[in-house]
Amino acid sequence: MSKEIVMLEARRVSFDYRRPIVRDISLSLGPGTVTGIIGPNGSGKTTVLRLLDGILRPLSGQVLLGGDRPLSGLSRKEIARHIAMVPQNGGVYYYQTVFHFAIQGRSPHLSLLGFESARDENITLEALEMTQLAGYLNHRVSEISGGEKQRLLLARALAQQTEILLLDEFTANLDINYQVELMRLVRRITREKNLATLVVSHEINLLGTFCDRIILMGQGRICHQGNVQEVLTQEHLKPIFGMDFAIRQLPGGKVEVLPVINKDSNHEN
Amino acid sequence: MNRLSGKKIVMASLALLGAWLIAMIASLNIGSVPIPVQTSLRLLTGYVTGGSTGEDPLESVLFSVRLPRILLGSLAGAGLAAAGTAFQSLLRNPLADPYVLGVSTGASMGTILYSIFVGWAGFSIAGGGAVYGRPVAAFLGAVFAIGVVYLIAAGAERAGESSHRLLLAGIVLASFLSSINVFLLTSTNQADLRGIFYWLIGDLSRPVDVSIYPVTALVLAGFFFLYLFSHSLNLIAMGETDAVILGIEVGRVKTCVYVIASLVTGAVVSVSGPIAYIGLICPHMGRMMFGRDNRMLFPTVFIFGAIFTLLADTLARTILSPAELPVGIVTALCGAPLFIYLLRRKGGQP
Repeated sequence: MSKEIVMLEARRVSFDYRRPIVRDISLSLGPGTVTGIIGPNGSGKTTVLRLLDGILRPLSGQVLLGGDRPLSGLSRKEIARHIAMVPQNGGVYYYQTVFHFAIQGRSPHLSLLGFESARDENITLEALEMTQLAGYLNHRVSEISGGEKQRLLLARALAQQTEILLLDEFTANLDINYQVELMRLVRRITREKNLATLVVSHEINLLGTFCDRIILMGQGRICHQGNVQEVLTQEHLKPIFGMDFAIRQLPGGKVEVLPVINKDSNHEN
Repeated sequence: MNRLSGKKIVMASLALLGAWLIAMIASLNIGSVPIPVQTSLRLLTGYVTGGSTGEDPLESVLFSVRLPRILLGSLAGAGLAAAGTAFQSLLRNPLADPYVLGVSTGASMGTILYSIFVGWAGFSIAGGGAVYGRPVAAFLGAVFAIGVVYLIAAGAERAGESSHRLLLAGIVLASFLSSINVFLLTSTNQADLRGIFYWLIGDLSRPVDVSIYPVTALVLAGFFFLYLFSHSLNLIAMGETDAVILGIEVGRVKTCVYVIASLVTGAVVSVSGPIAYIGLICPHMGRMMFGRDNRMLFPTVFIFGAIFTLLADTLARTILSPAELPVGIVTALCGAPLFIYLLRRKGGQP
């Protein structure tokens, strides 16, 4: 990972709406790197993602594109040319075909009255190939499986041709085999396209295997961030999740994390 | 595959324009005085080329009665159909239509209040500049109605629920406002207003005044601007978060489309009255024939609205000939069953 190039950066960002509050978040995403955010429910992970995509405006601090352009000064269209996001429960219009859904990722590149060109079509087809959906072009979205829908949302994001990719609970509700397959795909695409990728997930083990960096959040703050082996330790995880973890360091900087599930209460907390 | 191209849209629009012309010629010949097609075509050619003699008695039937009414019906239908397409995309609900949402009734209240005010203030309704205020008053009435509907429905958390609440609020508001309209019309002592009960149901038989020019301009301009937002509306139909992520300024687009659709509805209602369900039937037909891409749907539904309303009005003025029904009766007879069908089919979901 190169430390000098910054694709997207948050500087001391805070936000407050109804419940999930985010305080004083600073982080940066570099090219070719998969960063994972992990933390308990309500710790502000999704809020951070929405702040990074400019959907929410910070109360204080700022989010900088490329390290120097504040998102608050850019139009939505401009942001969508640089940052793609796969939202939690992304809207999937059931009667659309796979191809028509994916080509909507070209929207930020179209003019006001624009129609998709042959080039837009090719970029979309490439994104669908990359996500192994090329065989489903004319299938209706309602006909494909849950895992394929996630890949379709990823394909739409790739069709945006951005350099930053934000994934919110990308593997939720899928079986473990599919989760691994999707994360493998995300990591491969991140490397191939030199993307700055940020993944929010509850699957500690999955992030420990596929991420280059980990951000550990608790109660709206970043508690720890850094390399996987530095962050995913028993001392860091226990106070945040309130339970014990069996952690095994693997070669290649990876970590295997296993929650130790106590049938009765965790009386130490 | 099969990405949408401008060419496909132009082809479909031209085909529909052809159908509109055929419907128009057919409608010109049908009525209490039947006119043979050759006669009407000869008179039309004469009219266009300036070679008309003005002697044929059928000429006045054709050009003073039928043609204006056909053009008015086409304009009203096109405007209401376009407004319906816009409301359906915004609310993600195929049941949304200016009539169902109470927007049309709000616009007719604006028109009535304005006419009463003008009469009370002593302006001449028939002449002068006062008539130009009527579409504006109708627009304000439409905006008032959509605002009230929003206030009633506000607070629904989930998008699907809020869209249903909006429809319910619209239906209730429409029945409330139409009572007020009848009350206003009955209580006024202005003779010329008391006769316009047909107009409350949507009627094309009344003679138009000069306000038809700004109304025409508003409908055409409104259609053009709605069309500019058609791709943004495609993305908003997927869900607002997705639209934002894909670069749409959702708040701004929604405000603009609401204002434009209300303006078009107001302009139409100020001349034709609230014709029911055009904005429900025509987008539905359009989607069945051309799919759901708004870039295709806006132009085709616009022309389709003209054809449908023109045919409905032809039926309205011939079915009980020589008596005439208001066109709104015919459209309501078609639209209400469709509404029920759509409601039952998917619970009103798009």
